Amino acid sequence: MSASMRYAPGAAGRQSALIPAGILVLVLMPLLLMPLAAIFVFAFRGGLPEFWRALSDADAQFALRFSLLIAFATAIINAALGTFAAYVLSKYRFPGKETLGIVVNLPVAIPTVVVGTSLLLLWGPIGLLGQMLPADLQPMFTPVGVLLAHLFVTFPYMLGVIKPLLDELEVTYEEAAFTIGATRWQTFRYVILPALRGGLFTGALLTFAHSLGEFGATVMVSGNLRLRTQTAPLYIFAQFEAGNIANANAVAAVLAVLSFVIFFFLLRFTGRRARGGAKA
Amino acid sequence: MSIVLKNLSKRFGTLVVVDRVSLDVTDSELFVLLGTSGSGKSTILRLIAGLIQPDDGRIMLHGRDVTMLPPQKRGTGFVFQNYSIFRHMSVADNIEFGLKIRRLSRLERVRKRDELLELVGMAGLGNRFADQLSGGQQQRVALARALAYEPGVLLLDEPFGALDVKTRSQLRRSLKEVQQKFSVTAILVTHDQDEAFELGDRIGVLERGRLLEIEHPEKLYAEPRTLFVATFLGAGTVLVGRTRDDQAHFGHLVLPIPQDVPHEDGTPVQVLFRPEQVSLTEEEPEDKSIVLGKGSVVEHSFTGALRRLRLRLPQLSATRQIAPVPPFGEQGILVDAVVPAERKITQSEFWVSLHGWRILQPPEPQLLVFDQGERGISTLMMAKKIAQQLDAQATLFSVTRDQDELESLRDRLNRRQQEADLAGAEVRVAIGKDPVEQLAVEQNSALYSMLLLAPQAKKRRSFARRNGRPERRRLRRISRLGTILVKVLDSAHLPVVVVKKERDAIRRILICTRGGEPGKTDVRVGGRLARRLKASVTLLYITEDSTKPGPIAHSHLERAALTLRSLDVPVETRIRTAKTPARGILAESREGDYDLIVVGRHEAESRSVFGRDDVTLQVLVGADRPVLVVPTTL
Amino acid sequence: MAVIVKNNVLVRRLQEALPLVFMAALALYAIWPWLPLRGRTAKTHTIIFYGFSILAESMNQRIFPAFQEEWQAASGDSIEFVSSFAGSGTITNQIIMGVPADIGLLPLEMDANRIAASGITTSRSWQELPHRGVVNLTPFIILVRPGNPKNIRDFSDLVRPGVQVVHPDPLTSGGANWAIVAVYGAGMRQNPGNPNAGYDLLLGVWRNVVAQASSARAARTQFENGFGDALITYEQEVLWDQSRGRLRGEIVYPRSTILSEHMVMAIERNIEPEEREIVNSFVQFLWSKTAQRIFVEYGFRSVDEQMNAGNPAFGKIADPFLIEDFGGWQRAKPEIVDAIWKEHVLKEMER
Repeated sequence: MSASMRYAPGAAGRQSALIPAGILVLVLMPLLLMPLAAIFVFAFRGGLPEFWRALSDADAQFALRFSLLIAFATAIINAALGTFAAYVLSKYRFPGKETLGIVVNLPVAIPTVVVGTSLLLLWGPIGLLGQMLPADLQPMFTPVGVLLAHLFVTFPYMLGVIKPLLDELEVTYEEAAFTIGATRWQTFRYVILPALRGGLFTGALLTFAHSLGEFGATVMVSGNLRLRTQTAPLYIFAQFEAGNIANANAVAAVLAVLSFVIFFFLLRFTGRRARGGAKA
Repeated sequence: MSIVLKNLSKRFGTLVVVDRVSLDVTDSELFVLLGTSGSGKSTILRLIAGLIQPDDGRIMLHGRDVTMLPPQKRGTGFVFQNYSIFRHMSVADNIEFGLKIRRLSRLERVRKRDELLELVGMAGLGNRFADQLSGGQQQRVALARALAYEPGVLLLDEPFGALDVKTRSQLRRSLKEVQQKFSVTAILVTHDQDEAFELGDRIGVLERGRLLEIEHPEKLYAEPRTLFVATFLGAGTVLVGRTRDDQAHFGHLVLPIPQDVPHEDGTPVQVLFRPEQVSLTEEEPEDKSIVLGKGSVVEHSFTGALRRLRLRLPQLSATRQIAPVPPFGEQGILVDAVVPAERKITQSEFWVSLHGWRILQPPEPQLLVFDQGERGISTLMMAKKIAQQLDAQATLFSVTRDQDELESLRDRLNRRQQEADLAGAEVRVAIGKDPVEQLAVEQNSALYSMLLLAPQAKKRRSFARRNGRPERRRLRRISRLGTILVKVLDSAHLPVVVVKKERDAIRRILICTRGGEPGKTDVRVGGRLARRLKASVTLLYITEDSTKPGPIAHSHLERAALTLRSLDVPVETRIRTAKTPARGILAESREGDYDLIVVGRHEAESRSVFGRDDVTLQVLVGADRPVLVVPTTL
Repeated sequence: MAVIVKNNVLVRRLQEALPLVFMAALALYAIWPWLPLRGRTAKTHTIIFYGFSILAESMNQRIFPAFQEEWQAASGDSIEFVSSFAGSGTITNQIIMGVPADIGLLPLEMDANRIAASGITTSRSWQELPHRGVVNLTPFIILVRPGNPKNIRDFSDLVRPGVQVVHPDPLTSGGANWAIVAVYGAGMRQNPGNPNAGYDLLLGVWRNVVAQASSARAARTQFENGFGDALITYEQEVLWDQSRGRLRGEIVYPRSTILSEHMVMAIERNIEPEEREIVNSFVQFLWSKTAQRIFVEYGFRSVDEQMNAGNPAFGKIADPFLIEDFGGWQRAKPEIVDAIWKEHVLKEMER
């Protein structure tokens, strides 16, 4: 009986969790928590009215909206593109598949500034392909350029979420649908896609969040035009450099809150999926 | 005919998974495909469903040729071993999926779905999801889903494989009921013979992609035609004896050979007797013709209704055992028997006699190729040529001491097999210290017609210096051939082909009969091989002195030629003078450019083999072409 | 009982829908200005303006609106200004890389030369503009901590050990190039007859440089965040802060310093034909009384000396000089920045 007591997760067990948790918080304090807190301290140093004033600045509003739109577009396009890539990489065999698998995951490792430069060198007005385009179809330094950069940088996130799900899906899952009479498209639409639903949501949110925070590639390809191609992170950087720390921090605070909410959804969603099975 | 397969073949790389399978399944029949894993049974099912494409052959479903149709257009219902219930759909949605695709009205769908749920015993569980169901329940749903759209053919791929024993037997009963109720033609694939017996209207047994036999379960059990089916289905004893005068001889036991079993004097013949066909008596039975001998009980187990006994009987001359597998190095015949449980076993010895048996069909030629994955691939190339000429299957066999090397050795063998284009060969690797012993076990485990191997020489030269001259010469020979080969020759009961260098084909065979000895076995074995290879034979007689060969030589050759002619083999005879028989044989083989030299392995067990007269070893050392060594024990 | 269960289901549904509702709200917020709910304003022309960092406020807050008003009054068309402000090197590189800038306002003629050399504009067209393209000026001064604790009175005081100097990076900042010439020139002009005076002063100052920011603006932000004792920067920067009451420091006017000249250039290749007139008008507008007055108000010194009386904060410089005194940027860049600063000062510091 005493033996079973010892392993029971009782009050003693909960108490001992305080120590590692406390250490974790202590370690994270200077690393993560305090810098984040500093954003809010500075954002609200001038009081709420000052915060609102900084936030309602036309440039700030534009930057936030532009960032959100780009993030939505990126999430939607990469959700489709990433799912397609995952499907091809998971379900087909072809020579060079491994190499392709590595290449599509490269954006995670490449510095984002390099991504920006490479896009400029390809699509820029003096780039390999860009110089062949007429002036009014130039993608760089326009929202299209920003979108291209974001698609590039966030491409692996969707893939990383969807591919393991597809790999896990038994081959017979598809075959069952085929024998029942479903076409390839029907099979994808009614059998594969619903099985990926959770992953699509998670991957899209991840992509969205990363796009919202993207800086390195954007600063290269956007031209940093206020009210045109200035994303929220670029706005923050520009304002900070210009010494308007209040403006920078107001937008930074909004971004931080948005990220927090998104990751809150992500954790809750994946957590529930892990508990409740694939049904949710 | 609901399902007709015609000469269906499928290869994965060089591996032939389905080999010219033809099959007719009648309406409403539940046909069971039985085979071990890797026998190709699931592949056949997937070919029928259209999930993979055949390399050859045709598939007809209800008179419609569907060979080129995609799975969607074939109208088959498929039940997978892993259920493959769509997890994000409820049970009801799973069942209705096929109906939705076919755009049935909602009312119709609901009616059908409820009917099916009722039928498979899942009424009221339509709202559940896969993760809320047991394996058995999921498989019931899978069955309902596959039947919902009323497919012309139901295909079940080991549907009960992942279930526990109790659920399995419940589901079998349900399946049979449902199948009969729908009177849908079904093929069920399984490796479980109980399942096959219980469910199958007919059973087809598959081995290595070939459909060996198709029969009703009872007949298949009682009257199997092939060794594989005999040993795969149920227990029993299989002995290999000789055919003589249209009768099968197993030592003193002589059994008649039925008309429908092709046979030929001197060829091996197999007999099967089931445990329940064996009588155990305390007194010797009066009818001596069916007595196997007096055996002692070596194993005894009680299974409720029956007692199972295993007895060991004295060895029968010119007989070897295939099943149950005899322990290596032990003499005697093992026989399994059953007696009713109420019969108490108080003695340790019984007279064993038979009240039933089955003579099996002669086996298809099968080559055993011993290859350790090293050096040249001549042996494999030769095996490929012979396999082609004989339409034989080949098994690549290798032995390693080291468990860790198993996979790499297997890979090497697979590569060599591809290199030699020896398609369809089975690769087997045994683990053991002594390759000779493993090889002997392997020879016993199946009916091989020939063993091929290369000399396994090691580069050691002068280890025999201190022995006497003849002894030294012998040891040098052995070292040039490798001790493995010599030991194999001494222990083999198969014809052994020693390959140093392959030939393009075997067209000309030189059979050497040693002076003074009739060498009957060599002539017969060589002759049968020549007939099947459609090769011509030259019979050679060597005289050791320069005097004219006496009438013995002529009459000896004449008798041998007669035997060969009776096999329809073109024969020439030749007499040569030479200092030693070996030199004469080698000289003749070079001059006549023969493809194969046939020699006997004389006096294998006597000490004189190791004397200076060991012609076989001399020929093997000197020959530059394949040599077939025929053991005398054959 | 049943009601409670139903409620629980409802709550769960709501919880599940929450992320979607939230994302939908975000999307609505983001797309709002582009929704066709209000009548769109009349056709607008768009002028894309790239300027170096310290121009941001004066342009965005006053110059653009003033011109927009003037143009609308004259023609009825509305004009939209899209602008980007960064270090002059960054701006120049972006223009060369092909950003669709119509107008650039640069702190260094040498940057303009680079743009002209890359073929983006017809050669040195700003030379034909009034004042050879220069729209305003500002002297380089020293900003020190309140109360001037290190007692810095001139560039020569920055040489003292223990004085920490914040300086923008000459690779990306035009201001930094001006600052180098300002220090070097002051050394030369204060010590006639000593050909090494400029070099010695520059080396002394640079030994004390503790931070290099990417632009003049960034350098000031750094200084404001507490770095260093002295910042070499545009007078305008400091006056602009002062006018908003945000200055935490004091200006020290060196006895001798340079006046940086900021010149405008039209990026001809990017100008749509129908907007050429507007661009030209806007460029001319920069020299108008209105524009010059705004510049002065924001702390720039006007090209018209008389206008400078308009800002009482302008301090007195005993010995101001211009880049022309050192042969213009065509010579000053290779002779002073490259040959003296890069080749000698930097190398000497590495020892």
